[in-house]
Amino acid sequence: MMIINSRRRAACLAATVAAAALVAGCGNNGVASTSAGGVVQLTMLTGFTGPDEPSYQALVAEFNKTHPDIHVTMTAEPWATVAQKLPAAWATGGGPDLATPSSDPGSIFNYIKTNSVLPLDSSVGTGDDQIQSAAFPTAVRNAFTVDGKLYAVPANMATLVLYYNKDMFTAAGITAPPKTEADFIADAKKLTVSSGGKVSQYGLSLADNNTIQMWPILQWMSGGDIVDAKGCGVVDSAASVAALTQWSQLVIQNHISPIGQAGADADTLFSSKKAAMEINGPWAAAGYKSAGINLGMAEVPVGSAGPVTLASTVPLMIERNGPHTAQAEQFLAWYTSKTAQLKFSQVSGFPPARTDLGSALAGNATVSLFAQALPYAKLYLAGLSQSTAIDSDVYVPMIQQIERGANVQSAASSANQQIDKLTGCTS
Amino acid sequence: MATTTLKPSSGPPRRRSRRRFNSAYLFVAPSVVIIAVFIAEPIVQSAWMSLHDWTIGAASNPFTGLANYRSLWHDSRFWNALRVTLIYTAAVTVGQVGLGLAIASRLRRTTWYSSLLRTAYFFPFVASLVVVGIIWKFLLDPQVGLIDAWLGDLGVGNPPQWLQSTSLALPTVIVVGIWKNVGFTMIVLLAGMQQVPADLYEAAMLDGAGPWRRFTAVTLPALRPALLFTTLIATITGLQLFDLVFAMTSGGPVFSTESVVMYLYEKGFVEFQMGYASAIAWVLFIIILAVSAVQLRVARNRDGD
Repeated sequence: MMIINSRRRAACLAATVAAAALVAGCGNNGVASTSAGGVVQLTMLTGFTGPDEPSYQALVAEFNKTHPDIHVTMTAEPWATVAQKLPAAWATGGGPDLATPSSDPGSIFNYIKTNSVLPLDSSVGTGDDQIQSAAFPTAVRNAFTVDGKLYAVPANMATLVLYYNKDMFTAAGITAPPKTEADFIADAKKLTVSSGGKVSQYGLSLADNNTIQMWPILQWMSGGDIVDAKGCGVVDSAASVAALTQWSQLVIQNHISPIGQAGADADTLFSSKKAAMEINGPWAAAGYKSAGINLGMAEVPVGSAGPVTLASTVPLMIERNGPHTAQAEQFLAWYTSKTAQLKFSQVSGFPPARTDLGSALAGNATVSLFAQALPYAKLYLAGLSQSTAIDSDVYVPMIQQIERGANVQSAASSANQQIDKLTGCTS
Repeated sequence: MATTTLKPSSGPPRRRSRRRFNSAYLFVAPSVVIIAVFIAEPIVQSAWMSLHDWTIGAASNPFTGLANYRSLWHDSRFWNALRVTLIYTAAVTVGQVGLGLAIASRLRRTTWYSSLLRTAYFFPFVASLVVVGIIWKFLLDPQVGLIDAWLGDLGVGNPPQWLQSTSLALPTVIVVGIWKNVGFTMIVLLAGMQQVPADLYEAAMLDGAGPWRRFTAVTLPALRPALLFTTLIATITGLQLFDLVFAMTSGGPVFSTESVVMYLYEKGFVEFQMGYASAIAWVLFIIILAVSAVQLRVARNRDGD
């Protein structure tokens, strides 16, 4: 009897240990903030895993040094991971205090819809300890304002410029980067070199998927667009179709660029000296220089519609139900201040997310180049709650189709109908 | 004569039985909890979500009945994904089992070089699908890839755009899928061949059967369980296609390699439409169940013959 009881106790103990081990796997994900010794601990989840991560970490370290009562810990994970874990984490109140949900500004709509992001209007103002949203570029402020409320600040700000290989330009007898769209096209053709029916050097490296968009710039140059201010598709307008026809023919007939490249492929092509030009952002400069390219940088050539390029910004937001929203707002006010943005530009090479630092940047030619495009740079599909679906389901497939010889007018008309269906445009 | 009927005793034995049952219950409890939490509950939850307009973290997820399934019926992108998945599954299953059988037959005898070749054929199977996909993506790259460079050296002026062409991308993924898994089929079929008694072959030879006749009359019937197993596994894994296209093409160009699971991922984890994604998952589950049932039924009927 004693033996049976011992065995039963052992069985119960084993089962209890197993159950305890199982339950131990559940619990807090370790990102919630705490107060320790009077210092408020804030956590910030970002997708900045690239070579620019140290620049953001330096900014956070500067904040921690100058604000002894608040300590921010920034972590960086791939964008796909952030996109998968953040919605559920914020919806259940267990996520980080601050986060950059995606590199797509349109992603803020998902979090506004789920009521998990804090409106920042109460801390917006002109004081040094307030979020000075009036100094943000207009396109950014509009993209982050929904129904009159500001929901995010720019974690960074970038514009795209024309990168070119000076050695290839010299070899082709071209003395300066193109200033106009006509020069751009002529140079792209001249810089494309073929031998034995195979292209050995491309004039331009264009990407059509998994990339920061390049094709909208080619449309904007000639006055085309994708969606108008009412949310209605205009990708089949005469100007858009003309631009898409021109550039797709340059790809198909003149082979100025390979087709079907992802963003990383396009970068590799340029850095491996197989393409003479690429349109890209400030994050690419360091990699190209380290690849040994005799690198030139210039503003995107101007078309009939005037100067234009693509702007890119990453939203930085606060969890609505977090325990330390006041301190998080204090961090955002400092992060977007003149001092912090100037420091960030100097460290990262990115233009500042403010438009009132002009003269302070004069000493840095690279930052100045990106910054001087800010007034005319446009965000891609800005302010549209369906921007992610329009990009992945409509625009990218349309570009892929016309690059492979599809009729531009019919592809654009079909895309327009899909855009109107997604946005609910009825006019 | 009086007869005595032995009644089954109802007292102590039942108590003993219950005691033993209780102890066993405690031991299986952790596994039951794991299965309940990580398998059963998500299955039920996904069925429930598929009947709602469910977005991650939304304040409300209204009940919409079969609306997600009705939308799916009219969703051309879903039908395209299903077409891609079925073509891939059929081609990979036929290629993998056919080629696996051919290789297993050739490498049946154990020699030093057959051992070497078996290892070489099996090696891709143990590699990660994502790693395989990325490596092949590099090899097939028209600008920096080895394959087009070799074709160029052989005088091919415009080598194929393997993963950039809408007509070539899916066949290319199919070939890589077969290459990746043919080693597994080969090993299973080789093990099956080793079990065939040598007497059967000797008897067939005495009856004048040639190599092909011995293969069709002795080897193939003996391999029926192994063939059924490999066909079933290849079919199910084919219908669940995701990793390979995610790494090689991301479903492009123009959705030409987008599988059902890839589409499910896009809807659920990129656009956060979990209700719609759950409906896709349930339709795929029913398809896999139906295809597997048909395969098993066909195999049983043949066994009956």
